[in-house]
Amino acid sequence: MSTTTRQDTGVAPGGEQRARSGAVTHAKPPRSGMLLSLLAWVVGLLFALPVFWMVLTSFHSEADAATNPPSVFAPLSLEGYRTFFGSDPWPALLNSLTASVLSTVLVLVLAFPAAYALSIRPVRKWTDVMFFFLSTKMLPVVAGILPLYLFAQKAHLLDNIWWLILLYTTMNLPIAVWMLRSFLAEVSVEMLEAAEVDGASLSRTLREIVAPVVMPGIASAALICFIFSWNELLLARVLTSTVAATSPVYLTGFVTSQGLFLAKVCAASLVVSLPVLAAGFAAQDKLVQGLSMGAVK
Amino acid sequence: MAPSTSPAADLAPAPGGAPAPAPGPVATTPRARRDGDVVGLGRARAVAFVAPALVLVGVFLVFPAAWTLYLGLLDYSLTGSGAQAPVFVGLGNYTSALSDPAFAKSLYLTLLFVGGSAVLGQNVLGFSLAWYFRAAQRPVRATLSVLVLLAWILPGSVVAFLWQALLDRRNGTLNALIGTTDMAWALDHPMAVIIVFNIWRGTAFSMLLYTAALSTVPRSHLEVARMAGATRWQQLRDVVLPTVKRHILTNTLLITLWTFNDFSPYLLTGGGPNRESEVLPVYIYKEAIIGGHLGYGSAISLLLLLANLVIAVVYVRLLRTREPEAA
Repeated sequence: MSTTTRQDTGVAPGGEQRARSGAVTHAKPPRSGMLLSLLAWVVGLLFALPVFWMVLTSFHSEADAATNPPSVFAPLSLEGYRTFFGSDPWPALLNSLTASVLSTVLVLVLAFPAAYALSIRPVRKWTDVMFFFLSTKMLPVVAGILPLYLFAQKAHLLDNIWWLILLYTTMNLPIAVWMLRSFLAEVSVEMLEAAEVDGASLSRTLREIVAPVVMPGIASAALICFIFSWNELLLARVLTSTVAATSPVYLTGFVTSQGLFLAKVCAASLVVSLPVLAAGFAAQDKLVQGLSMGAVK
Repeated sequence: MAPSTSPAADLAPAPGGAPAPAPGPVATTPRARRDGDVVGLGRARAVAFVAPALVLVGVFLVFPAAWTLYLGLLDYSLTGSGAQAPVFVGLGNYTSALSDPAFAKSLYLTLLFVGGSAVLGQNVLGFSLAWYFRAAQRPVRATLSVLVLLAWILPGSVVAFLWQALLDRRNGTLNALIGTTDMAWALDHPMAVIIVFNIWRGTAFSMLLYTAALSTVPRSHLEVARMAGATRWQQLRDVVLPTVKRHILTNTLLITLWTFNDFSPYLLTGGGPNRESEVLPVYIYKEAIIGGHLGYGSAISLLLLLANLVIAVVYVRLLRTREPEAA
């Protein structure tokens, strides 16, 4: 609200050098700055509240978990985890792992060459190809799910993990191509030309010039694909039942049957969330870069 | 266009193309990248690189959507008379959808949902957080973005359970926290619940995108504006917003489409009570998967698809008109 002229003198000395790190207004007007900070923290804590509740409750006994308002300082217990792992969630967890990892690998194997060809050597018409990829991001999953279901039924692919792997691969391909392309656009043309003049082979060019620049892009694309596949619920719910059910499907079933036992379900939820939490925070900055670059460029 | 492998071909257009105030090869690189074969990949190899991805997307993403178009013309059900021999009914499904008050209501609720939670909610909150982060210290910014990101990254199944527990009538934490007893939030205010839920769930994306966008605003421009005595608000309106216009458009398009196709309200309210929160994806799911009316469900899917297309076209138009400015 109130920026004062006082700031001009306040910012001038340090401002220029710290070009990236910082804010323009270091000398905040004290009161409104405090209020803003307070507000931001309240918003942040509200966002995390359900997650804190989940973590806390998962380590409580059922009796303590059932009290309302939540008993924050109740003694910790692993009862919930014991019951959850006692219910044999391993096939579902393993299915999720298989589907997410394999589909992510497949996505990268398919998306990288495509993105490379599209960004390093786009024939002019290939902008259309890029837009084709982008446009498929607009297809609602619900709209395509009926044919996918009917086809799987005919081909005896219902409740088959490979069908899910294939679909997750397809689902994540467009976004991966877009992300990788935006990273590949950063590769210096001069370097590529120099490599060509030197007679470097394609594989050598890829390894020594392209890979170093694109590695962060590949990493963030991989993480995003992993997270999307791990979290996917609608396709898994419709196309699998017992054999190929993934952990989100297992969890929804668990909530239905055990919903009143909060500690158990919270423990289950936390276990199912751990892989994506790990993936997300392992590369938070890259995640940001990958998503926003893929989206904007 | 010719499959030339010579770098000279890339340099050739430069003298004629640009009357060159800036000498040197620098000016030619963007063109070269766009038109030429920089590394001698060769057309055949380039096509081979793209083809597998293209085929997969075509077969498993685009073809099902096209099939949906066809199914929408049939009277096709999982049970009953339509199950054995689907009958061709032409546009019958579409006319019955368009005259069905339940569809109209669902469409209205979807617009409310998209407008309230994405276009307004996520956009404004995400931008505000990003704007606040500019002036915040690094640890504060990092901590807060992690907190907000949690909601975005968790599996939908987990998130749905957490909200059910939070909003529960008897044991819900929300009732305990704000002292209301026996308030059945999901029943009494279903639309408000799914809108707040989606803001909570999706704001992280806008926040991240705008944080990246705001870092591209040249500091010198802001400095100049401040010297000229512009208030915070004027800086925002006259310097920042024009610079990040494209980001705002892109972000709005993406979150609009995602919210439009979002199925998670089903996990919270099941579309109820009495269809009070039955947004289009939920409507389709209930009609087609639960009710077994495949033909009818497909017809509505196609209408949803068309709505998406209209949004995308409007967006591309808006983006095109900005391009000369940005380039």
